[in-house]
Amino acid sequence: MTTAPRNPGPSWGFQFLARADRILPEVIFRPLCALGTAVAVVGMPVQRAHSRAYLRALTGREPTWREVFRHFLAFEEFLVLRLRVANGQPHRGDLAPDASGFHALLASGEPALLGTFHLGHSDLTGFLLGRQEHRRVFMVRQRVGNSHDTEVLGEQFGEWVRFIWVNEASNLLFALKDAVASGGSVALKCDRLEFSAKTAAFEFLGRKRLFPFTIYHLATIFRLPVVLSVGVPAAPGHSTVHSSRLFVPDGGEKAANLARAHAHFQEFLTRIESMLRADPYLWFNFTPLNPPAP
Amino acid sequence: MSDPLKNILKELIVTTLKLEGVSAADLSDDEPLIGSGLNLDSIDALELVVTLEKRFGIKISSSEESRQALASIAHLAEFIRARADPARLPA
Repeated sequence: MTTAPRNPGPSWGFQFLARADRILPEVIFRPLCALGTAVAVVGMPVQRAHSRAYLRALTGREPTWREVFRHFLAFEEFLVLRLRVANGQPHRGDLAPDASGFHALLASGEPALLGTFHLGHSDLTGFLLGRQEHRRVFMVRQRVGNSHDTEVLGEQFGEWVRFIWVNEASNLLFALKDAVASGGSVALKCDRLEFSAKTAAFEFLGRKRLFPFTIYHLATIFRLPVVLSVGVPAAPGHSTVHSSRLFVPDGGEKAANLARAHAHFQEFLTRIESMLRADPYLWFNFTPLNPPAP
Repeated sequence: MSDPLKNILKELIVTTLKLEGVSAADLSDDEPLIGSGLNLDSIDALELVVTLEKRFGIKISSSEESRQALASIAHLAEFIRARADPARLPA
């Protein structure tokens, strides 16, 4: 029997947080969340080890317990935000001035492949793009052991957002094909290797590591542009969305397109690394760090 | 006598997927296309499906259907003959 992948926190955590958030004043709710986070740090050794490995790779030294706790707490705070947005709290994604790809995409009105990462508020950007810009977005998601919050968010943004669950990998690509054929944009996570048919090596955290590269193959097959983006916390009620420039596959050789794609991804990954060096706790992968390229 | 549709399909596979060191003549009619020596993965299969749909005006709508269609060149030719507009097929 295999264990379903999961984010930090117990399977009942979302419902517990939702109820506590409804009935408790903030002054009690916040310390309770911090306490819950401390319990998670102690009680989830696997996720704790992955957090440590990531922080070690980023800083080049052994992380302290306090740093691991802050990493978990940052994720927990994001879960609370997701919960509140799912329950109708207003939240906006504001494009950063350097989000040239997103600006170009919105100006064109065309569908695209949206690559994003488990980083900061990125999980919300697809929802916000759908609702704010009235774009139909299909989100490719892995159903994890405690993904109930994602489903609630999906209900809140249901008019514009649909999920394609990747756990049934056999029909994933055909689901993507249908999504593209319907004229929607498709959002894929580009940091975890699960279910990624194509990978490539990129410089990240001090060495060449494997990342999913499927999005660019899909771009050449469907002749769709690619924009990579991440959302980071900004003022209360706001996230700032940073994006890559637009990658547009041309009619030339596939190999040439993929070479340009490689440079495009590396450029944005380098920006992500800079963001993480400024705020290490934004990396919300409590899974094995991307493996070194062979 | 060789089947012109099978020859077209072999050529299409080699050119679409840019198979290195493989020519159309190297592909046998009965060799499995996926999971064989060609080393094609699911994205290659998708690319092939999209190309076949455009070329022959057919629709392959699930991975199960694509597995059946891409079982071999012979299966693929049979699949396309059963679904394509005859005007798009070689004489």
